[in-house]
Amino acid sequence: MNGFGSYHPAVLFSYYVLAVSFSMFSMHPVIILASVAGGFLLFGAQNGIRKLFKELGFFLVLFLLMSLVNPLFIHNGETVLFFMNDNPITLEAIIYGSMASLMIVGVLLWCRCYGAILTTEKFLYLFGKLIPKLGLILSMVFRFIPLFKVQIRKINQSQKTMGLYATDSVADKIGGGVRVFDSLVSWSMENSIDTADAMKARGYGLPGRTNFTLFRFRKRDGILMAVMGALAAAVFTGFAWGSYGFYYYPYVAEISRDIQSAAAYLIVLAFMCIPGILELKEKVSWNYLKSKI
Amino acid sequence: MELLKVEDLTFTYPRQKKDIDEAAPALEHVSFEIQEGEFIVVCGESGCGKTTLLKLLKRELAPFGEKSGKIWFRGVEQNSLTDREAACEIGYVLQNPENQTVTDKVWHELAFGLENMGVPTPVIRRRVAEMACFFGIDDWFRKKTTELSGGQKQLLNLASIMAMQPKLLILDEPTSQLDPIAASDFINTLVKINKDLGLTILMTEHRLEEVFPVADRVFVMDKGKILLMEPPREAGRDLKQINANHKMLLGLPSALRIYHGLDAPEAECPLTVRDGRNFLEENYENRICRLERKKTESEGTKKDRPIAMRMKDICFRYEKDLPDVLESVALTVYEGEIISLLGGNGAGKTTLLNVVSGANKPYRGKLEIFGKRIQKYSGKELYAGKLASLPQNPQTVFIKMTVREDYQEIQKVMGYSQEEMEQKISEIADLLGISHLLSRHPYDLSGGEQQKAALGKVLLLQPRLLLLDEPTKGIDAWSKHQLQLLLKDLKRQGIAILMVTHDVEFAAGVSDRCGLFFDHEITSLDTPEEFFCNNNYYTTAANRISRQRYENAVTCEEVIELCRQNRKIKSGDRSQQRNGQGEAHEETE
Amino acid sequence: MKKQNEKMACPEAMDAETALENTAPYNLKRLVGWIVLVVGVILLIRLGIRLLADRKYNLVSVMIALLACVPFYFTYEKREGSIRRMVMIAVMTAIAVLGRLIFGPIPAFKPMAAIIILTGIYMGPESGFLVGSLEAVVSNIFFGQGPWTPFQMLTLGLTGLLSGLPGLRALLRRRLPLAIWGLLMGIMYSGIMDIWTVLSLIDGFNWHRYLLALSTALPYTITYMVSNVVFLMLTIKPIGEKLNRIQIKHGIF
Repeated sequence: MNGFGSYHPAVLFSYYVLAVSFSMFSMHPVIILASVAGGFLLFGAQNGIRKLFKELGFFLVLFLLMSLVNPLFIHNGETVLFFMNDNPITLEAIIYGSMASLMIVGVLLWCRCYGAILTTEKFLYLFGKLIPKLGLILSMVFRFIPLFKVQIRKINQSQKTMGLYATDSVADKIGGGVRVFDSLVSWSMENSIDTADAMKARGYGLPGRTNFTLFRFRKRDGILMAVMGALAAAVFTGFAWGSYGFYYYPYVAEISRDIQSAAAYLIVLAFMCIPGILELKEKVSWNYLKSKI
Repeated sequence: MELLKVEDLTFTYPRQKKDIDEAAPALEHVSFEIQEGEFIVVCGESGCGKTTLLKLLKRELAPFGEKSGKIWFRGVEQNSLTDREAACEIGYVLQNPENQTVTDKVWHELAFGLENMGVPTPVIRRRVAEMACFFGIDDWFRKKTTELSGGQKQLLNLASIMAMQPKLLILDEPTSQLDPIAASDFINTLVKINKDLGLTILMTEHRLEEVFPVADRVFVMDKGKILLMEPPREAGRDLKQINANHKMLLGLPSALRIYHGLDAPEAECPLTVRDGRNFLEENYENRICRLERKKTESEGTKKDRPIAMRMKDICFRYEKDLPDVLESVALTVYEGEIISLLGGNGAGKTTLLNVVSGANKPYRGKLEIFGKRIQKYSGKELYAGKLASLPQNPQTVFIKMTVREDYQEIQKVMGYSQEEMEQKISEIADLLGISHLLSRHPYDLSGGEQQKAALGKVLLLQPRLLLLDEPTKGIDAWSKHQLQLLLKDLKRQGIAILMVTHDVEFAAGVSDRCGLFFDHEITSLDTPEEFFCNNNYYTTAANRISRQRYENAVTCEEVIELCRQNRKIKSGDRSQQRNGQGEAHEETE
Repeated sequence: MKKQNEKMACPEAMDAETALENTAPYNLKRLVGWIVLVVGVILLIRLGIRLLADRKYNLVSVMIALLACVPFYFTYEKREGSIRRMVMIAVMTAIAVLGRLIFGPIPAFKPMAAIIILTGIYMGPESGFLVGSLEAVVSNIFFGQGPWTPFQMLTLGLTGLLSGLPGLRALLRRRLPLAIWGLLMGIMYSGIMDIWTVLSLIDGFNWHRYLLALSTALPYTITYMVSNVVFLMLTIKPIGEKLNRIQIKHGIF
């Protein structure tokens, strides 16, 4: 598979930062909608339609819940709908609230999709360059987590067969849990000394450490980077010119409909849809290729 | 010029408060030289100073203590080596494959040392690729390190050190945590590295069957001194002449042990199975092919004995969607017998033990322990005085700060009084010979000692049915011998023992019945004699040596016994001389 | 030579107090450095909230939270540290993450803050901060990353950092002060995380809204506090004893 995830981590990460920043930086409805649309497109391309609909329900509930918060606290705005506990509930506050929560939905969606794309390996690559020591620590953590899980199971078994805390009562369960934890802490700490020795024996700490990676920056990464860069530059220009300016109070602004604004909106939409389109394209061509095997 | 030169090395660990007597030096006046391209095996019982010696050779791992003498590496005194030389030119593989892995991915692990050396990425890429191909890692190159088997992990450790292109490779019991097949693969890889690349190798090992014959020289260590430094054939022969009761003799390859047992110093000393066969063929007649065994007591009266554990039709899987690990397993264990289950890695032997111990719940089948269904036992009832299980990893047994405190926990389970507990603890400690370890922290013990201490804790539960998972992992030949005696003693007290092991020799020596665990069930459960004599590959070295001449010898002792019953092939009056010599050597001791 | 041997001959005789002296080689300069860092971080957050009276609070706040962690990371990167301590940081982080994973289904009742506090106490402020913030990053890989990640990094990092401050760490080795500290840390966690809630859900920050958010989050805050105390009491012995032993035996930290 050669979808969006197969691009160079640096490309993926810069795209991610830009997409999330754009979505969070502006309250313009078009940007927010474009971000949500791009997020759903990518999610759908990754997980299929059925999963998408399932997720849609979850996000809808989240959206409705969060939309309620703002009008309860904020009473700005001209159009008063009704009073609650002597506080005016305004249309503007409701619209702002729903836009704000839509934005959060978008950001959450992007984060969800990126979990699958920016795997720990890519994550480590990015941070290994920037903060090599912590990168290595993270790499060890990623090794320890599954290792400790297995060890917990083993300890649990051997402690249980010693007849201590062997019943199913709550007190025994807690007591047993603490014992397992106790043993895990001992085991992991004592053995970590060996790991440290092995690292030293293999020359860790010598000056001039390099960082090896399997990732290579290819031509296609360059192309995507360039396209992304151009679009992002256009979006920034849009921000500078005020194309994405918007206000909700005292009354909700209108979405401008001139050509310049339309272009600005299209650019944002294009930017947000890049990963989804790439992923879809790959799915389709893969299905085609598979049919030829 | 020699690659490594050690001159009059003496080393003493700092005195521990709790050891009353003055600490003896861990190493005393050790001197030797190693030429480039040599393959050297250091052997000796646990605690003879092997590991200390190896660690001192690697500057980064050198333990703290009082040291005198000099170590020269490639003509440079150890202290004057640059950090880079010291780290990169001497590779060191530790005992436990798990602990020396650093990163989460195989490819990263391979590159780790090279990264430290500051090698640029394109060069790392090439070397990593080369190493992956040489060691056959390409299939699991992108896997997570935690997903590998023990053998793969150790191979990865070796490969990642080899990627740094060391001049000297030091290995400290690298195969002690591996099963025999993985271990022999690993040793073959070492031999290949030594022969093909001319790399100098210095390793310690308990399991000498395979590595002893291929070594260029063997160092035998005893109490911090080097006793012998000779090619394997001579070392094997001379060890007995130095001390006829040396504990190390038990750890030698089977061919050598048979040779020693028969006292035939004029014949050429055999090392391998092939040598052993020739030795028997040339020196001993085979008029009597079968060894008449006394019907052991457990054999004859088995049916009358009470049943300790009976399982029927047991099926188990870890998760609904996973395949069965156990499929209709049936097994009956009688009191006072030892049953060993052998079989490949991941076949489900440990799972079976866990089912018996109640840690895994089968979804089908009937399991009775001492005549009562396992579901009927509640809480600690099953574990107090009935069933105990020694897990594969002894470290999972301990949680306290000293072994004694750990032992005292059992008081709660068994309901002992304070004095009773103390008495039981000292009894068990004496039985296992670990009284001096009681006040130590469990993690300060060596692997073999941990194994014994864990067994002690398990035995405090006074089990009538004892489950052992790989009890010989990582312990030396002498301790194995002791363990064998202990298990036989327990058996005599009527305790039933169900053991899972890879150690064919051990199983042959101690079991009443052996079975092979294969294809999710137990096959060919039989007496060791029948079991091993009918197997061609999965059998003891002694059996492989003798099978063409004798029909039913399984252990070294049995081969020796048979040879004695048959007579020696006469060849002049050499035998007369030999007897005289043998006595003379014993007197010199 | 002989004297040196004498000194380290009986490591087991050393009790926790002498170990403490060993493990706290903080001179005035470093202490001041830490205080400046902490104050700086707090000021930075205040400043960010003040200066950006525009509506981009949430993005800016996320950036500030992230930036606040950076100095800690870079001081760790630049300094020559022991490899053993490094592996130990990884171990403690993994244990904290596992704690969160195991208690995953129960909301807010998690042992990770307790483990981070103990790391701070026994391994020092820097390790405390690193374990806390790395725990946040890594566990969110399993629970879902989001704009709240930097806030959690900062908050949990501060939890570890503050628990490791010299002066405090000796006191916190006793159970009663530790329990009180656990309560305080629960409040702090909730307090900082609610800044993020206010900033992201409601348009603009003011104290009134913040207090409102705090009051609605009260059940959570109480759960944090209770779980901190419970887990601190359960884990101080296992973690404390073991870290002490490692410190004494191998002379790390």
